[in-house]
Amino acid sequence: MTDAANTDRWIRWLNLVQLVLAGVIIMAPTVWMVLSSFKPSFEVTAYPPTLIFTPTLDNYVELTKTTPFMSYAVNSLIVTVGSTALGLLFGIPAAFAVSWTRISWPAILTLAARMAPGTLFLLPWYVMFRQVGMIGSYTALILSHAVITLPIVIWVLLPSFDGIPRSVFEAAQVDGCGVTRILWRIALPLVASGVAVSAILAFVFSWNYFLFALVLSNGDTKTLIAAAFNFIGEGSTQWGALMAAATLIALPPLVLAALVQRWLVSGLTLGAVKG
Amino acid sequence: MASISIRNLVKRYGNFTVIPDLNLEIADHEFVVFVGPSGCGKSTLLRIIAGLEPITSGDIYIGDKRVNGVQAAQRDIAMVFQDYALYPHMRVYDNMSFALELRGTPKAEIDARVKRAAALLHIEPYLDRKPKELSGGQRQRVAMGRAIVRNPKAFLFDEPLSNLDAKLRGQVRAEIKALSQQLMTTMVFVTHDQIEAMTMADRIVVLQSGTIQQYDTPETVYERPANQFVAGFIGSPAMNFFPVAWREERATLSQGGAVVPVDGETASHLRQAGSAVIGIRPEHFAVAAATADGIAINVKLVEPLGSDTLIHFDLAGVSAIARVDPSLRPKVGDRLGLRPQPGKTHLFDAANGQVLR
Repeated sequence: MTDAANTDRWIRWLNLVQLVLAGVIIMAPTVWMVLSSFKPSFEVTAYPPTLIFTPTLDNYVELTKTTPFMSYAVNSLIVTVGSTALGLLFGIPAAFAVSWTRISWPAILTLAARMAPGTLFLLPWYVMFRQVGMIGSYTALILSHAVITLPIVIWVLLPSFDGIPRSVFEAAQVDGCGVTRILWRIALPLVASGVAVSAILAFVFSWNYFLFALVLSNGDTKTLIAAAFNFIGEGSTQWGALMAAATLIALPPLVLAALVQRWLVSGLTLGAVKG
Repeated sequence: MASISIRNLVKRYGNFTVIPDLNLEIADHEFVVFVGPSGCGKSTLLRIIAGLEPITSGDIYIGDKRVNGVQAAQRDIAMVFQDYALYPHMRVYDNMSFALELRGTPKAEIDARVKRAAALLHIEPYLDRKPKELSGGQRQRVAMGRAIVRNPKAFLFDEPLSNLDAKLRGQVRAEIKALSQQLMTTMVFVTHDQIEAMTMADRIVVLQSGTIQQYDTPETVYERPANQFVAGFIGSPAMNFFPVAWREERATLSQGGAVVPVDGETASHLRQAGSAVIGIRPEHFAVAAATADGIAINVKLVEPLGSDTLIHFDLAGVSAIARVDPSLRPKVGDRLGLRPQPGKTHLFDAANGQVLR
């Protein structure tokens, strides 16, 4: 066998090892969580962990019996859909404006806001929302989650808008379009997959965000992820119910990602290569 | 249909001046071609007329209307872009009807106008297709169709043939020319290809560094170039230039001292100037019967084109080309005598390149 063939074989093996390793690191906690949610509660924390067990739905039953799980789920849905819609409503025109004018500082500013720790916003928001009596309202939660969704929409869509040849916009100008009409009639249909991807990512990030809901919600508006925190008690933790809750919370983003994974990849690379 | 008038136009990008001061009058129904090398400002000028580029100072008129601050959408011009700029998500029909729809044209009229333009451009079978399902030539026609249905005051073309292969380019060139005669609309066409300029234009604007070098009919630009730049740019292969001086009552090459047989008018101008640059087009050389009767050259390279043959040679330190009859069957290394055809030489000022004759 030649040296080149040997090297190729080694590279293939190394790739495989890397893939398996990455898969294990990423998937192991998820598999653990899902399996644990179906274990009898005494087996969840057993050491060494049991791999063979009689699956049970007891944890899920307990979860729905002891907590208003469905209303938390509805709260999560309201906040996530609301903040995603808000992110799209302002993020689409903002990304288009940045691409159109080539003035990039507003986009960088939103990115900085996204990268800043949530606690930076939390205190001023708490004070502001308390002063206007909005603590515990869906509006406060939706507005605060827009800090998560808006930068995602802008930064996913920016390369998509940049990828449209400038001449297409100019042709529309000559044809009689103003900037707003160019956005809605020409640009938006051309970045539809980008919009879908940004919406999905915004949904997932907002759904999973914990901090704002923990502080700005109340008993009626608590989101799933903030409510799940209540299972971790000072004396005892209901590990089985917590695993069942975590599994259910993780379900929508995972299902969403699995359904649109092909679209997701093409949407994320949109604008990277000119077609 | 309208005339286009550009007065004292200045265009700067920051400190960089693209167009220093330009005046241009394009008559109604005229087909004008802007030609020049890359970066000469021809596309910028077209985009300024279209309203896609703001101006630094000056005035633009389309018809009687001053359009300085008028948006592209309100200028009532149509433009065909280099990359066609079709709307990828729309069918050919929708691409063509879009502008009419924006203007609130009745549906029946839109349909009639789209179908009329499609018939004119032979794109009727493709009306339901998306642009990505069309070839380059078909897309080009759709781009033209989109412009035609508008029935605009003027058509602007920004190098629309540069993405087509040579055969298709020739075909579409002829079609655009025929279309211009049929539509009788003012047309402004930008190209860097001087053959396109020569074959299509009623008048050519030769541009260099944002300045008009010559604005005239193709025949005049070819036969009486205003300066050495125009002479070198228009014509293919390009005009040959040799530095010459008036010595012992004869025109002689500055380097090597060979005598250049010239007509009386050229001789008189050269006598007056003392030294200059003589320009001779490749097709304006005649092969002398005897080497001694012309300028002696050694054939360096032969390019048979079928209809005629190009021979490359070095003369007075300059690489030059002559177009000769193919029956001559010249070979590399042959020694020939070349004479400029009487009345076909051009004389340029050696310092500023302006024509002396």
